[in-house]
Amino acid sequence: MKFKKRFSFSGFLILSILGVCLAAPIIAPYDPNAIGVADAFSGPTATNWMGADDLGRDLFSRILYGGRITILIAMSATVIALLIGTTWGLVAGVRRGWVDEFLMRTADATMAIPQILFALVCVSAVGASVISLPIVVGFLLSPTTARMARSAVVTELASDYVTAAIASGTKRSKLILSEVMPNIAPQLLVQLSINAAAAVMLEATLSFIGLGIQPPNASWGTLMLQGYAKIWNTYWFVFFPALAVTITILAFNAYGERIRVTMDSRRSSV
Amino acid sequence: MGLFLLRRSASSLSVLALSVVLVFLSIRILPGDPVLAKLGAATEVSPEALEALREEAGLNRPLLAQLFAWIGDAFRGDLGVSYFSQFPVTQLVAERIPVTLELTFFIILIAIVLALILAPLSTLKPGSILDRVIGYYTSIGLSVPGFVIGIILILVFSLTLQWLPSRGFVPISEDLVENLKLMLLPAVTGGLTATPYLVRYLRASMLEIKQSPFVRTAEGKGLSSVRILFRHVLPNSLIPTLTMLGLIVGYTLSGVVVIEYMFGLPGIGSLAIESSFKRDYAVIQGVALTIISFFILTTFLFDVLCGIVDPRLRLAKGQKSEI
Repeated sequence: MKFKKRFSFSGFLILSILGVCLAAPIIAPYDPNAIGVADAFSGPTATNWMGADDLGRDLFSRILYGGRITILIAMSATVIALLIGTTWGLVAGVRRGWVDEFLMRTADATMAIPQILFALVCVSAVGASVISLPIVVGFLLSPTTARMARSAVVTELASDYVTAAIASGTKRSKLILSEVMPNIAPQLLVQLSINAAAAVMLEATLSFIGLGIQPPNASWGTLMLQGYAKIWNTYWFVFFPALAVTITILAFNAYGERIRVTMDSRRSSV
Repeated sequence: MGLFLLRRSASSLSVLALSVVLVFLSIRILPGDPVLAKLGAATEVSPEALEALREEAGLNRPLLAQLFAWIGDAFRGDLGVSYFSQFPVTQLVAERIPVTLELTFFIILIAIVLALILAPLSTLKPGSILDRVIGYYTSIGLSVPGFVIGIILILVFSLTLQWLPSRGFVPISEDLVENLKLMLLPAVTGGLTATPYLVRYLRASMLEIKQSPFVRTAEGKGLSSVRILFRHVLPNSLIPTLTMLGLIVGYTLSGVVVIEYMFGLPGIGSLAIESSFKRDYAVIQGVALTIISFFILTTFLFDVLCGIVDPRLRLAKGQKSEI
């Protein structure tokens, strides 16, 4: 069951992004909200690596601090999606029958609702904050997680060791928590990674249409919205936050893919 | 076939009913009084007048009664009245939907054409440089948000080359050429977002078909690999891809919301965004219902289409073929 531990570039990238955002107060050359540290709309220079915005705020510092907001929202949303989705799928997969049918139809129905539209309604009603955004995004990501968890549980419950455990009189709750759950953990980890990517994308999209964290704080999506409004004067403004978002999503997706491939090769070699 | 249609429509209808209830409830549960929003915060209104307005909008009745009244009206094509402009929601949606449908059509067209070129190219020689390059394109394409692609396209084609306009809309009836010019960037944006999904799926099913005995026979007959790919492998792998295409059409319909907004196209997506800023729930509900119905309808139609093309797919899970 051993597999070669190789250097994972995507994993390294995720850790670096997290590290850089965490260390933003140390790395950032300026206060992200300090006005007039550079000429308004000045392009990338030696002192302001990514240029400055309309109020002369340093874009590099704003991106570092924006990353904290984006990552914080994405992480909390991912955890929420994992909690709701796994419970949802676990109940469906273990109970089966009409409970399963009802829960999975509800998952289908939730997935049929356009994500952006649903988020639009929620956020316009309760306002965008570091609390409301993760809940909305997490809820939107939970049905796909539920489907994945259900299918993993159903496959796992069909295996011989489960039959053996039931035959030897193991309690169902114990069986699921201490035997089945650890076995589907790798699949959950893949979903976790994919969800993180989707959360970053959803948060960025929402902020981009003006329903993100409100100024003066800004997530990457908000910065992109500001940059997009000024795209005719300062093309690089929109470029840097867009790059940050894309690299982050790419890293999470690639990491998920990597675990999945490792998992598959392990399974086929057993 | 009759049984298949019945089973398929029953599951579509149940999903539709559930999502309609979800949309309705989620909008009602949320805080934010539409009557207050309509009046504006500054005006002083007597509680009696407020009550009268609520009564008029039907917001005082029990939730379940409101739900059934809304569904009943929706069946008759009446989606209620906008809280703000007082226009019927059906009219607002009907005015805007041609733009959304046109955009969706072009997006899907671009995605299909690109997928039909890229997937066969990458399966021609699995593992080749070409295959890997296309693989990189799909992985990156899946990770780039649609609006980032839009930004890049605007930077290149509007800002630098100045070939195409970046905003605005002209109806087809007024000026076809101008309409297509304004539609091009949004359509390519959406098309490039949808293509990677389609390419991945088509490539996987083509590789699977390539393993089948009839391909070996064709190779044994001495057919060229290009001919095998396009005459034998591609047509057979299109069937599973059709199901996927149905889903992609559905996702595109909801994904165009952002594209419409960023390119200033007056479709139902931008209608929803404008309404959400005003908390005009009646309109958002109407748009959501429209998009959900289209989504479920397209997935249903594509499933039925697959059932017609490939009778094996008509069987329920676990049901055995009679042959």
